[in-house]
Amino acid sequence: MPIITASIDPVTRIEGHLKVDVEIDTVDGVQQVVDAHCVGTLFRGFEKIMEGRDPRDAPNITSRICGVCPTSHGMAAALTLDNAFGVTPPTAGIMMRNLVHGACFLESDILHFYILSLLDYIKGPAMAPWQPGWDTGRRLDSATESRLVGSYLKAIEIRRKCHEMGAIYGGKLPHTPSFIAGGFTAVSTAQNKTDFQTLLTEIIAFIEETYIPDVELLGALYPDYYNIGKGYGNLMSYGVFQEGAGTLFAPGLVNDGSEAIQALDIGQVTEQVTHSWYDDATNDKHPSVGDTVPQHPKAEGYSWLKAPRYSGTNYECGPLARMRVNGDYAGGVSVMDRHMARSQEAFKIASAMQVWLDAVEVGAYGYSPAAVPTAEKSGVGLTEAPRGALGHWLTVKEEKVAAYQVVTPTCWNCSPRDTVGNRGPMEEALIGVPVKKADQPVEVLRLIHSFDPCLDCATHVMRPDRKGKVYIVDRTGVREADA
Amino acid sequence: MNLSRRRFIEYCGVVAGAIGLTPGDLAGLNEALANPNAPEVIWMHGSSCTGCSVSLLNRISNAVGEPPTVVEVLTGAINLTHHQTLMSFAGESCGAVLEHAAKKGNYILVVEGGVPTAFNGHCCIAYSYKGQEVTFADAVAEMAQHAIAVVCVGTCSSFGGIPGAGSNPSGVVSVAAHTGASTINISGCPSNPDWVVWAIVQLLTGATVVLDNDSRPVALYQQTGTGGGGGGGSTVWEKIHQSCPRKTAYNTGNKAADFDETVGKCLVDLGCRGQWTNAKCDSCWNGIAEEANWCIGVNSPCIGCVEPDFPGTQSFFKPYISGS
Repeated sequence: MPIITASIDPVTRIEGHLKVDVEIDTVDGVQQVVDAHCVGTLFRGFEKIMEGRDPRDAPNITSRICGVCPTSHGMAAALTLDNAFGVTPPTAGIMMRNLVHGACFLESDILHFYILSLLDYIKGPAMAPWQPGWDTGRRLDSATESRLVGSYLKAIEIRRKCHEMGAIYGGKLPHTPSFIAGGFTAVSTAQNKTDFQTLLTEIIAFIEETYIPDVELLGALYPDYYNIGKGYGNLMSYGVFQEGAGTLFAPGLVNDGSEAIQALDIGQVTEQVTHSWYDDATNDKHPSVGDTVPQHPKAEGYSWLKAPRYSGTNYECGPLARMRVNGDYAGGVSVMDRHMARSQEAFKIASAMQVWLDAVEVGAYGYSPAAVPTAEKSGVGLTEAPRGALGHWLTVKEEKVAAYQVVTPTCWNCSPRDTVGNRGPMEEALIGVPVKKADQPVEVLRLIHSFDPCLDCATHVMRPDRKGKVYIVDRTGVREADA
Repeated sequence: MNLSRRRFIEYCGVVAGAIGLTPGDLAGLNEALANPNAPEVIWMHGSSCTGCSVSLLNRISNAVGEPPTVVEVLTGAINLTHHQTLMSFAGESCGAVLEHAAKKGNYILVVEGGVPTAFNGHCCIAYSYKGQEVTFADAVAEMAQHAIAVVCVGTCSSFGGIPGAGSNPSGVVSVAAHTGASTINISGCPSNPDWVVWAIVQLLTGATVVLDNDSRPVALYQQTGTGGGGGGGSTVWEKIHQSCPRKTAYNTGNKAADFDETVGKCLVDLGCRGQWTNAKCDSCWNGIAEEANWCIGVNSPCIGCVEPDFPGTQSFFKPYISGS
């Protein structure tokens, strides 16, 4: 039997444009994925859009990279400006940044599990746009199905309340204007704190009573997914949520097969573009000296995503990485471990938000004066988006942005092959995923969604040199296309 | 889950005052939704950040008791057959749904994100169908041609927005510029969910939507009143500035010089664009209308995100110079 190439374009229930091609073959009697290409199919070039602007515009502009994690870019950009301008925000600013960023983490985590992932396991509401769904051989009885559909609908309400909570200090979400160089614009009132508390209490209850139990239930019904989708097993976190001199989640790395936490040296990060639609002259640069020069078509290219590597090696980032690096999660690396770690992390963050809220002083400004430097300066801002490590790099010249680089978590996780030909982390994790029906490979979607991809910059072309028959994924069944 | 169109009508009744629906509109909507041939809604993403979709999910009304939310809008009022962030299926089925709709017609096309034209459109692929990749530029042109109406949600699809700013690396243009279609622009970064729902309701009910010179509904983007220095006692169009709670501070010269003295002061010297921005922005973000927050409410200057020239080249943090 020939290898089947199944092409999923678009992958739905993610942010942005992603295509995934998998080759499916039978190995040891099990039909499974034997190769994979992840193809980012959108390029916008935010780095270029930033050039020539007032650097203080960075949080407002770059938060528009992503409507699902806007505060992560707002935070990264603000940290970059603090660093370049040499300014330290007062405690109130740090706490309010944490609170709004935390609110968006909770929003994103709940959105991710229920709205983006759960439909790989349940049928969902019996109407468009949830129907028609793929036939997946689901294992849930009708009572469980009903429980989870109920949770799904409740989750839509709770994730909205997460944004309402964040907007108390953020003004509006998505795309708050409140993250600025030197701190934060809002000044808390007593009523703000009361309103925030009311929503936080309700959200914590949902996480404890619904979200975590639902993930545990799914894990019990799909225990095989604790052994599917490991990939390289290398995990990395930049750390996030400043608390005093440290962070709630520590930065660091955990290598496959080791429990040891290694220190993060950000100087080891480079971006490789051999298989990306960018000029090879920009290959393997550290982001502080990197550039974004699109080149399409390009013989070796197949994605608009670059391939970030740490010391030349692949690392997965995200909630599982944060929790493992921080010593908060003892499990392995798999589809279900990613969901478990994400839900447990949501509880940890929500609990920390309680402490941060108490620390917000009523009437206190969260801003330290931050002037654009007249001398040439550079800055870096490292934080975490819900889906993983996020870095911004800036050079200011003549009070304008001379260079800006953004390396997103999805670039790490969904990256194409690197210069030496190693697959990206998600491509590698797809290898060995069992597939029952090649025309509706829901198992592939489960793996993809466990990484929570957020494609903010990317594209692709068909690769006419592929061997074997090309099948097209369709709910109506496999149809052969021209090879 | 058993939400009903009746509940949607109630919801519309609740927000009617805020967004200008009349009792006649509501009767018409009831009629339209009872019609099995009511148009479906197709939502497509171009060069976007998905923020307008997330914003839509934040929809909430101020109904007493259990308030109608976006779930109820989706399940009870709008037959949303294609939305990549929400729908269950993936891959080829997406192209199939779109191609089927294009043949059948009778749909409202909602577009989120601008249209990238660089690299022959290959910097934004909408979907693959029958082995062929289809660029968003081609897909939106085809879908707009057969739609009964095109609604642009957000500033990117309305005017190009941030992806089209600066050197515009991916050659982003608005949907209207690319397709030649007449569009209803619900600009904003992101679009306000009340306004998006309002526009779709107008179309479902066959109501006439009066548009301004930038194809935005006058009912949403221009406040009316007799203040604001228009003079003459006649009705004048007003900007955000005219309803700003800090307007008195502006009039008395009580202006903030930095972000450590913003409370109660006018933000114009920190870059506020409220004097040049058309929108009913106040009191309609993230929560119950009239009780919710907005940018200026947290001491942040308006950045003019609903305007055709957003973000422009000027700093967000220096006094705005109109027309430059």
